[in-house]
Amino acid sequence: MASTDKISNISFGNSFTSRLGAAGKRIYNAMPNFKPISNARFIKGIENFGKKCTSDKQRLILGVSAILMQPPIDAHNKNVDEKTRKVSVARTIAKIIAGTLTGVAIRWGCIKAMNMKIFEPSNFFKVSKDAFDQYKNAMGTIVALVVMMFTNFLIDAPLTKFLTNIMIDKDDSPGGAKK
Amino acid sequence: MKTPDVIKNLGKWSAGRFSAFKNIILEKYGEQPGKMLVHTGVLGWILSSLAQVGAVFFNDKISPEQKVFLIPQEIADAVVNILSFYVVTNSVKDIASKLVTTGKLTTPAILNYLKKTGIKIPKKKGDASPIGKWDFDITKLANFDEISPNFKAFKNGVDVGASMLGSILSCNLITPILRNEYASKQQKSMISKMQNNKNLRNLESPRGISMAEYQRRAYAKYGNLKV
Repeated sequence: MASTDKISNISFGNSFTSRLGAAGKRIYNAMPNFKPISNARFIKGIENFGKKCTSDKQRLILGVSAILMQPPIDAHNKNVDEKTRKVSVARTIAKIIAGTLTGVAIRWGCIKAMNMKIFEPSNFFKVSKDAFDQYKNAMGTIVALVVMMFTNFLIDAPLTKFLTNIMIDKDDSPGGAKK
Repeated sequence: MKTPDVIKNLGKWSAGRFSAFKNIILEKYGEQPGKMLVHTGVLGWILSSLAQVGAVFFNDKISPEQKVFLIPQEIADAVVNILSFYVVTNSVKDIASKLVTTGKLTTPAILNYLKKTGIKIPKKKGDASPIGKWDFDITKLANFDEISPNFKAFKNGVDVGASMLGSILSCNLITPILRNEYASKQQKSMISKMQNNKNLRNLESPRGISMAEYQRRAYAKYGNLKV
């Protein structure tokens, strides 16, 4: 029992707000309060986002935003030559596609698998349905990370390599990497 | 065949640990989905970074010069990604969380509850009220249970949204810019080192053999290079 307490008391470092000094607190106190959010649908939307945005959906949102934001940043990196820049862009795109596909699929599958009896905690009857759903999301994500220790090497890495090579081979421009 | 006691004990011990672990996850993340997204996000980046470095290293279609750029890029990507993900995402989530717990960001239902509790609601700028002040904490109020379901649902939504925003900022904006800066510096220094080593090798004199023999060996060694 004692060791369980030790595990549950693991600290992941001091939070950002707890590190703010007196000056930070004064600035915070001086900031005006936001006008209360009065739109009922918007409030419901925020609440549902907290309840329904499981880690697979979060990974999907991150992947979609990554494909829109990261390749242009690599394409405008003037510190490297044209050829390297193109390989870098191709690799970034390949990495995002491979990582998002496997990340979303494995997280989704593992969160679904949390309905199995073996993953049911003995204290589940003490908490609300929402808290239990969040547990499934958390536990499913942790199990997914264990699964991804293998799929990162077995699927992600070869898929990234495959997609990078397709994009490099297709590039026939003078600065392209095709040999 | 009888199962040895060691195996039985190990089985019991593992089952006990797993059961305790499930309860810890339930207790720690059951009501804090934003925190869970940050912590599992950090773990996820560590694991995927390891695989990505391996993918570049073993890709024979990428030339050594490009690998010299891409491998440091991946390592820089991993370090910056993990650090910026944790620092930025956690900070954005913490600030959002603080805004809600102090009542700086609120809803009419929470505000009504505060009014009912007897806390003065500021009507205009300059009105003295504890709401929105650093040390004020709605969750510490004596009758918090009344508003708890509404408050927690709203706070979890804000936390998850802030975690999401923080992770997009850190992974898709800060990290790519920082890692490109770092990796290009690494590439330049590595290429100059490789160039120096090549030059030194070329300067070695062919002791003990004829010039013709040296040329033959040099051709055998570097003959596959296309100029």
